[in-house]
Amino acid sequence: MDDAKLIEAAKSGDKKAFGQLVKQYEQMVYSFSFKICRDKQKADEVLQETFINAYRGLKSFSGNSKFSTWLYRIVTNNCLMMHRKKSHEPVVSLEETDLFKGTEELQVAHWGETPHDAVLNKELKDVLDAAIQKLPVDYRIVFVMRDVEGFSTEEVGKSLKLSVPAVKSRLHRARLFLRNELNEYFTK
Amino acid sequence: MKLVDHKKYLLEICEKVDRDLTSPTCRKLREHLSQCPDCAAYYDSLKKTIVLYRDYDVEMKGSRVKEILAQLDLEEPLHITLPAKHPDLHGDKKRTR
Ligand SMILES: [Zn+2]
Repeated sequence: MDDAKLIEAAKSGDKKAFGQLVKQYEQMVYSFSFKICRDKQKADEVLQETFINAYRGLKSFSGNSKFSTWLYRIVTNNCLMMHRKKSHEPVVSLEETDLFKGTEELQVAHWGETPHDAVLNKELKDVLDAAIQKLPVDYRIVFVMRDVEGFSTEEVGKSLKLSVPAVKSRLHRARLFLRNELNEYFTK
Repeated sequence: MKLVDHKKYLLEICEKVDRDLTSPTCRKLREHLSQCPDCAAYYDSLKKTIVLYRDYDVEMKGSRVKEILAQLDLEEPLHITLPAKHPDLHGDKKRTR
């Protein structure tokens, strides 16, 4: 059965059909959740919550966007909400703080060869996790959607209810920030 | 070379890092990168940053279909009690188990 048929069936209460959809998309949702919260347990929570919300809201899925895009939007909302609940800090935005100070200075450094996919070691993974976790969650989402998952700037804006210039500026800052954080690791 | 001269390229490097630099609009930047080892190194490190995050993926340990469907089953009574306010829906046998 294709997605459209499964969605129609699930809309009328067919849980088996919905289970099929979960099966098809759970790895994608889990992976995206992890890339934002950088914690396997949280990613698992977000995953389950996402599909439960999806089931509840299935009637509002019009089919105008891809089902996967719709799921991404729910994950994004769940991550933002979870972050707000747990951190008590405003999500938007740290632009006035020190976080990005110095990232627009040109710190010259030659990185040499970086490892490829399968050989990312534990130490480097920890460095990558730690660096991105320093970013406010909305910057994280912009970077992951745009640079890692390959969404267009417009799509990212729609998902986060941000204007295109706002997405661009967050992307820009996130890229420079992450690059500077990793700089220490690769030049030490 | 003065730092100021490179700094104006920094923003452009960041903005164009995921684009194809062979396009005509990127000509100036491309030229600069070919002459300036510092900016070239910066461009390279920025690109690598993105690639590293792209390569870092995680696999689920096992499917969560069962847990999710079990949670949805717990919600079922809600769906059943709701139509009680609408006598015209009482004939709906689909939801009874
Ligand atoms: Zn330069």
